[in-house]
Amino acid sequence: MANGIPPGLSGLEHIVVLMMENRSFDHMLGSLGLENSNIDGINNAAAGNPDTTGAAVPPQPLAEFQGQLDPDPDHHFPAVDLQIFGGNTAPDRAANMQGFVKSYFNQQQDVAHSHKIMYYFPKASLPVLTTLATEFALFQRWFASIPGPTICNRAFAHYGTSFGRVDMNPIYINEPFQSIYSRLINASPKHTAKLYYYDVPSSTMEVANLLQNQPELFGTFQQFLSDCAKGQLPDYSFIEPNFTDHDTDAGEEVANDQHPDHNVQAGELFIAQIYMAIRSNAALWASTALLIVYDEHGGIYDHVVPPACPKDQFTATANDTGTGMEFHFDRLGVRVPAVLVSPWIPPGTIVGNRTFDHASIPATVTKFYLGDYSPRSPRETSADVFLEPKSAPVDPSRNLLSLAAMRADCPEFDV
Amino acid sequence: MAVIHVPRPPASAWNPNRKASSLLRTQVEHMHLAEKRLPQRYRTDIYVNAIRTEGEAAEYIGQVTAAILRAHQDAAKKRARAAARPGQLLQIAAEAEDTKGSKARKAAARGKSSIARGKGSAARAKGKARKNK
Repeated sequence: MANGIPPGLSGLEHIVVLMMENRSFDHMLGSLGLENSNIDGINNAAAGNPDTTGAAVPPQPLAEFQGQLDPDPDHHFPAVDLQIFGGNTAPDRAANMQGFVKSYFNQQQDVAHSHKIMYYFPKASLPVLTTLATEFALFQRWFASIPGPTICNRAFAHYGTSFGRVDMNPIYINEPFQSIYSRLINASPKHTAKLYYYDVPSSTMEVANLLQNQPELFGTFQQFLSDCAKGQLPDYSFIEPNFTDHDTDAGEEVANDQHPDHNVQAGELFIAQIYMAIRSNAALWASTALLIVYDEHGGIYDHVVPPACPKDQFTATANDTGTGMEFHFDRLGVRVPAVLVSPWIPPGTIVGNRTFDHASIPATVTKFYLGDYSPRSPRETSADVFLEPKSAPVDPSRNLLSLAAMRADCPEFDV
Repeated sequence: MAVIHVPRPPASAWNPNRKASSLLRTQVEHMHLAEKRLPQRYRTDIYVNAIRTEGEAAEYIGQVTAAILRAHQDAAKKRARAAARPGQLLQIAAEAEDTKGSKARKAAARGKSSIARGKGSAARAKGKARKNK
């Protein structure tokens, strides 16, 4: 231990975040609770949801890789409100997670089809994500930042806020808070940051930054692989998956974002490729922490009630939310899978009693590289961090990179 | 620990004719807003309201992304040229100054000053004026 800092933390140089699409915790990792009761998964979700006939629909291990969640389950603000509150709109209502089947029924008026929203993957179906979750640190209380769709949730990962948006409108940069990338590259001393999109036809969901900071901030997945191999990874990397099935000169590219109805196995392979790219460079492996997280639940069932949180400084109007009620950004979205990977993390780590959301990403990266920084949104300043800063004293109860020696038993995948 | 096998998606997973999701339609809209901020010469001639499938969305998104990249590269080249210009002027001025100093030194060595050559200069100017007639 150097100066009271554990070696995993003192040697940490790179933070990599991979944000996948639209799958809930119970859907992807809930099966782990059936083997380990310390994990709050399907083991605690037996009650399930009622369907529109009043029949109870329990979660079942029948999820398929593709072709099942079609149409794409609704996950815009009003639909998620129904999923969380079960259709109760009273002022003193309590969240009960009883509206998922009802919400999916609304899309096709098909009772049997609406049950599929309760399906989850058995552990063996997802060898990559479940292995990483059990071999490293599993966050079982990581929630989407907003009970709403992709763009506003991803904004929290980039800016620590969505600037009052609960929808898919673009986030404009002339807002009061800088993105985590701008903070890093404009810092003194300067830090390095990159947003790696898969390829040009897939491009990025962070279009506002694309316009302003290209090409300094952006790279492709091929460049990420090359940067890993050459040991040239920036301080902070954010990776976006392939959002479309498309053709290139090199051949057919299968979407690997896992957004319904894209193939889930393609996403598993993508996660494994990123893990192995870091793992294969010994120096990089020792000095990198990789966070794998999903932007939101995609309308798919999870049983944990999203907690209240401190308000942001913005308010979404009743018109914006589409529910007839204002939203003060004082409640998190539905729980999503989140796993932190590093050879300095003890196997089987479960982060069970701390709450995180995507504002934790810029909060962690800022605190780690820049220390005290302002201005930041109220939501970001109140968000928990998943990596401790490299300054003594380090609280051992919070530090996840806690091993005295690097592990030699970490898994490998055949990519 | 043994190497863990990662199953590959089947060939049937690839379907660029799949209807574009609301996420992709949003990405297309955002790209269209971005495209409208580009100079005319970088814009595509794709009618975004006709985009229906993932393949079509990817085609448009790819073209706009490439155009944005090109626009930034061209702007960077232009900035580099502009930045090089003041340096070039200074260099030319410095060379001119150096030439002047060198001539002055040579003149001094011959026991004449450049100012003393005013007559010759006037004669050269006169000759030039004549040439221009």
